[in-house]
Amino acid sequence: MEERVIEREFGELAINMGPQHPSTHGVFRLELHLRGETVVKVTPHIGYLHRGVEKLSETLEYDMLPPIYERDDYLSPTANSLAFVLAVEKLAGIEVPRRANYLRVITAELQRLASHLVWLGTFGLDLGGSLGGGSTLFLYCFRERERIMDLMETLTGTRFHTNMNQIGGVRYDVYDGFDRDVFKTLDYLEKRISEYKEMLENNPIFLERTKDVGIVPQELAKEVGASGPVLRASGVAYDIRKNKPYSAYQEFNFQVPVGNKGDAYDRYTVRLKEMKESLSIVRQSLGGLPEGPIHSRKPVKTPSLFKTPKGEAYAAVESPRGELGVFLVSDGSSKPYRVKVRSPSFSNIAIIPHILPGHLVADTVSILGSLDPVFGDVDR
Amino acid sequence: MGTPVDENKPKLGLEALGELIRLPGANMFLTSTKKLFSWAEKSSLWPLTFGLACCAIEMMATFASRFDLDRFGVVTRASPRQSDLMIIAGTVTVKMAERIKKLYDQMPFPKWVIAAGSCAISGDHYRHIYSVVPGVDWVIPVDVYVPGCPPTPEAFMDGIIQLQKIISEGNLTPHLNIANRIERETTKPLPKKLVDLPKTGNYLMPDQLKQHAHNLKESGFDYLSYITAVDYSTTLDLVYVVRSFEKNEENIWKVSLDSSNPKVPSLAPIYKGADWYEREVYDLFGVEFIGHPNLKRILLPDDWEGHPLRKDYSMETPRLPYRPSREEYEAWKKG
Repeated sequence: MEERVIEREFGELAINMGPQHPSTHGVFRLELHLRGETVVKVTPHIGYLHRGVEKLSETLEYDMLPPIYERDDYLSPTANSLAFVLAVEKLAGIEVPRRANYLRVITAELQRLASHLVWLGTFGLDLGGSLGGGSTLFLYCFRERERIMDLMETLTGTRFHTNMNQIGGVRYDVYDGFDRDVFKTLDYLEKRISEYKEMLENNPIFLERTKDVGIVPQELAKEVGASGPVLRASGVAYDIRKNKPYSAYQEFNFQVPVGNKGDAYDRYTVRLKEMKESLSIVRQSLGGLPEGPIHSRKPVKTPSLFKTPKGEAYAAVESPRGELGVFLVSDGSSKPYRVKVRSPSFSNIAIIPHILPGHLVADTVSILGSLDPVFGDVDR
Repeated sequence: MGTPVDENKPKLGLEALGELIRLPGANMFLTSTKKLFSWAEKSSLWPLTFGLACCAIEMMATFASRFDLDRFGVVTRASPRQSDLMIIAGTVTVKMAERIKKLYDQMPFPKWVIAAGSCAISGDHYRHIYSVVPGVDWVIPVDVYVPGCPPTPEAFMDGIIQLQKIISEGNLTPHLNIANRIERETTKPLPKKLVDLPKTGNYLMPDQLKQHAHNLKESGFDYLSYITAVDYSTTLDLVYVVRSFEKNEENIWKVSLDSSNPKVPSLAPIYKGADWYEREVYDLFGVEFIGHPNLKRILLPDDWEGHPLRKDYSMETPRLPYRPSREEYEAWKKG
């Protein structure tokens, strides 16, 4: 009876979450319509970081573009440039040396680890009080991430926009003692990941806030085009590294972790297991790093001398967020005619309006955090 | 009376603020309130938890374990009403600029702004893009610029130290860019170029589209990978990609439309994901999807004119985000 009175008096309440909000993981706005504490309708607004990368690509030469793509999904920069250079190599028929392919895999997997660490840390912040004030996990994860950043800095000179991938190979070769540094870091990370697992999975509040929260049914995930951990948590074992191997992934042994329910907890476990697989892939690739050149193209005097034949190409990589593809149309000149970046975050957050209604407001941050969008990737 | 001060010794802490007179039994400290307040202000800078792009990740790293900005007295706050420092970390877009101005206005005085990273300083390699503001000083006054793409945590810390120095010295000269505002307003559409590209693939007529998609979905192609478009000047071609996990197959088809009046039935009733993809194509190419439940702009602001990925659309920004008038600017300069 009392509830009905409240409903009649207040009806629906519309609140605005973002674009400046610590838990939106970037510039994202959610228009939430609430009845009491329950979300009844949600309208997401994106585009606050639309930097027109696709338009910019049409005005720059091919060799100038990989660094720009690295700024798209800024948590895993090499995955972006890798997708682009793979598409160009496919179109121009460029063979990449085996050593370069291995180095691409090493940097991509190290950045996957770094990206998942940022995700785990910020997810901890989102869930807040349940995890020792929230910032404990954040500080732990960033401490570990610094180890990977150190490796990247010693290897390439920058911390995360590494500029590693070039059309035809990679820019930097490993230095003496790189493998020793990496193995040391990986051993350290492995211990820490088990520690987080123990810390989180024995925490009843963490379980309460993630289990059965934000269930993404398999049909919905497919129709929307979700990919990566979001799709795999819903039970589809689709990983481009396994299903359509690129670079050197066909040479390594690794598992594709799959969830069964598709809730926030499943997405968490899938990502945590993925981190362990990444550790193993880096170990394998560094252990068997072949000798040889790291670049197959002859140097050109200016970027405008490199041209691709007319045609279309699509290349996709498995970024930490999912299928990151580049659809490239070339008119035979030194600049792309059209580039479409099929970004995983865009389709992953398209799920939000379908799954959020019915949840509490507090679950919004838990769901959003578990989808792990990067807004440079959503808006491009 | 007091002990003589060694001129060569650098003054630290309170001693740098005024005169410390040591008396037997008690000390006396003489300074001005202005100095005392600025000393307090510089030692407790509370930045707004607000990140825009890549630089925000480095900003987070600076706040986190290894670099630990807390030791500078810098503690983040989630609300603009509790903070006095705004770190613009990332690219400022036209859509975001209005919000940044609003957040800045909500912060109480005294307030400072750090533009971190080359995008916030000048727009960097995005500066010519239609949706990007070439530097946040077009929107709000900036006190300290921190260069880098992205700035390293050391650079961030240096930015904070520079700001503290400016505050304690009291010579704040924030910079607001108004000089070259006018020339950017005029941009012309580009002339249409004829292109001759080989068109390959499975082309469908617009009226076959719905049936085709329906049939494919029934036969197991239930994953919508993406929908996009390519502007071939006279025609505008849509590209649809669907996938079947059971068959491990991809099916790609295309639809060629007249670029002067592109209209096509919407696939949103068949694939839920088509909703956003079609909105994106509508936003950037101006293709009208008949039967779409909510055909509105998605990436650009609702009142935007033109469709940027069309070949005749100039890359330059056609519209400015927030423009203070000359009077407003003069008033602001006076303080």
